[in-house]
Amino acid sequence: MIVFKTFLKILNKNKFIIIMYTAILIFFGGMNMSTNDKSTNFVTSKPDVLIINNDEDIGITKNLIDYIKSNSNIIDIKNDEDAINDALFYRDVNYIIYIPTNFRSYFLENKNPQIEIKTTGDYQASLAEMMLERYLKVANIYNSILDNEDDIIESINNTLSKEVKAEITSKLDTDSLSKVTLFYNFSNYSILAGCVYVICLILSSFKDEKIRKRTIISSTNYKKINRNLLISNSLFALILWFFYVILSLVLLGDIMFSIHGLICIINSFIFTICALTLAFLLANLINSKDAINGIVNVVALGSSFLCGAFVPMEWLPDSVIKIAHFLPSYWYIKTNELLKTMEIFNFDTMKPIIINMAVIILFSIGFIIITNYFSRKKQKFA
Amino acid sequence: MKKIIEVKNLTKEYKNLKAVDNLSFEVYQGEILGLLGPNGSGKSTTINSILSLLNFSNGSIKIFGSEMNPDSYEIKKNIGVVFQDVALFEELTAYENIDYFCGLYIKDKKIRQKYIEDAIELVGLNDFKKFYPKQLSGGLLRRLNIACGIAHKPKLIFLDEPTVAVDPQSRNNILDGIKKLRDNGATIIYTTHYMEEVEILCNRVIIIDKGKVLASGTLDELKALSLIEEKISIEVNDLDLKYIEEIKQFRNVDEVVYDDNHLIISYEKGKNNIIKLIDYLKDKNITYNNLYVMRPTLNDVFLSLTGKELRD
Ligand SMILES: Nc1ncnc2c1ncn2[C@@H]1O[C@H](COP(=O)(O)OP(=O)(O)OP(=O)(O)O)[C@@H](O)[C@H]1O
Ligand SMILES: [Mg+2]
Repeated sequence: MIVFKTFLKILNKNKFIIIMYTAILIFFGGMNMSTNDKSTNFVTSKPDVLIINNDEDIGITKNLIDYIKSNSNIIDIKNDEDAINDALFYRDVNYIIYIPTNFRSYFLENKNPQIEIKTTGDYQASLAEMMLERYLKVANIYNSILDNEDDIIESINNTLSKEVKAEITSKLDTDSLSKVTLFYNFSNYSILAGCVYVICLILSSFKDEKIRKRTIISSTNYKKINRNLLISNSLFALILWFFYVILSLVLLGDIMFSIHGLICIINSFIFTICALTLAFLLANLINSKDAINGIVNVVALGSSFLCGAFVPMEWLPDSVIKIAHFLPSYWYIKTNELLKTMEIFNFDTMKPIIINMAVIILFSIGFIIITNYFSRKKQKFA
Repeated sequence: MKKIIEVKNLTKEYKNLKAVDNLSFEVYQGEILGLLGPNGSGKSTTINSILSLLNFSNGSIKIFGSEMNPDSYEIKKNIGVVFQDVALFEELTAYENIDYFCGLYIKDKKIRQKYIEDAIELVGLNDFKKFYPKQLSGGLLRRLNIACGIAHKPKLIFLDEPTVAVDPQSRNNILDGIKKLRDNGATIIYTTHYMEEVEILCNRVIIIDKGKVLASGTLDELKALSLIEEKISIEVNDLDLKYIEEIKQFRNVDEVVYDDNHLIISYEKGKNNIIKLIDYLKDKNITYNNLYVMRPTLNDVFLSLTGKELRD
């Protein structure tokens, strides 16, 4: 009880700076969301498609491939299941089209050959899918009324070239979704900064060697005090997270009640736990209160820049992205980015998100282990 | 008399240094025991070992008749400690600081409030309850540090150099407070390297150096160990060197120092030293002022035992 009371008092003494921090964050977060709208120009970008053609590259088959080629970025990956699955996972390719042997002859015989596909299930993939479906629809119509392959191809090309201007529509509210992503990407900074600042502040008071010594000789079990500190700090992190969730509901509205929103909230919760464990680790490492501001800037601001919380990940150089892999923020933001264009939710499309979350949890466990190691070492020293 | 603490053969070694070397002593109920020793003599190490804050290499510690361990919470309940270094939360006011430390022992809010007020009264911080540590002077900080250590009304109190670098006003206040604590029935262990404090406060003194007990006993017992029995101080202007040499040849004289027109003569023992000196001065027609006799101090005891000064 006395620990919790003291925790609140210390927080209270720092309320001004904490409120200011939060206000500035919300302000910049808001600015970020309103100015960065146009960066969501992925709508005009072409999907990355891989075509695996098991048929001969002639006639209708060749025409299909040419059509896809002219409307997408063709990716070249060796025809190997593992390589293809990896490429899908890392979003190197959005859509894979397997053209079966005898596609051309079956098609011309009206045997309705099956084209197999693999998809990342996101917005880009759905562009590719629509493209393929449209081609097959038009091709089937002409195939049923014309006999000559050249005539069919010519008619298809005519129709499709006229249709090129037609809007490609998606069920996704991409505008709102990109705002959700921006908000939660930005919260990478807010949550990290909030947790690290407050927990370092609280623990550097309680773990101050002199106060620790004085507390240990009291009749209250030191383990109990540690436990109460852990609970108080976790509670704070939870409230901080909850605050940002509520804020997102207020700022972003209905979209937060979709699956996208729900996953964003879960993702941010897992990330908050990770931020909490990281804050405990840092609080164990620092020796002075003066270091806290520096640490907050390095950790929160640094990881936010490196991992694309403020600047879209696509804009960052590869070398930066490689470094970012070693930071939990990267995996958190990656999920937010995936969600922005995610259209279909099933096990395959969710898999990368689940893996991202698992990585964040692994980071948390790692931080806990390192924290324990250091605090043991510190205690042994006495 | 009831033994409150029993320290037996306590030894604490750091890598290549015996900070405490086979130390044994006892503390009795109701006394103020002075632990006197120069810097680095092992006073803090002894206290930290008694409190189970350090893993000592050898020895046994009993407090209130039971073995002291890191998790002897029943014993700890009745102990108050004021460490050498001030331990306070910067973010909390004077009152809130005492509240926290007292709260580690006393859960009941009402009782705690009363205890905090008592502690504030004892150290005379009434006007500074709402002050933050940063706003307090060095002396007031020390007093607050003491209040934090004793607010829960412990039966046994450790005070580790609570008056280091404190102005005379705060020092007097602190010493008065400690006497009050003793009068209220607490047993107190007081470490210091100020012998004057020990002479004012302590019933019994243990002098330690290099982690070993040099001597222990009441003030009178210790002073009997001094090689010097008395010192005579006289103010004489421009005394000739040859007279000083002659005085040095007197019986029982151990040392003669002439400095700033003050002549200080230390005598090993003997009677009538003062009469002989006055006769001599008369005989030589030397005018003098302010003649007085000093009893030996603990510093003289320490000097006699170790050949060096307690304070450098
Ligand atoms: N953690 C440590 N590691 C190594 N040596 C130490 C450590 N702590 C204390 N010492 C040494 O042990 C000896 C006793 O130190 P201690 O602090 O007990 O002395 P003290 O009598 O309290 O002195 P002071 O009057 O300066 O407070 C000193 O020589 C000191 O250098
Ligand atoms: Mg000391």
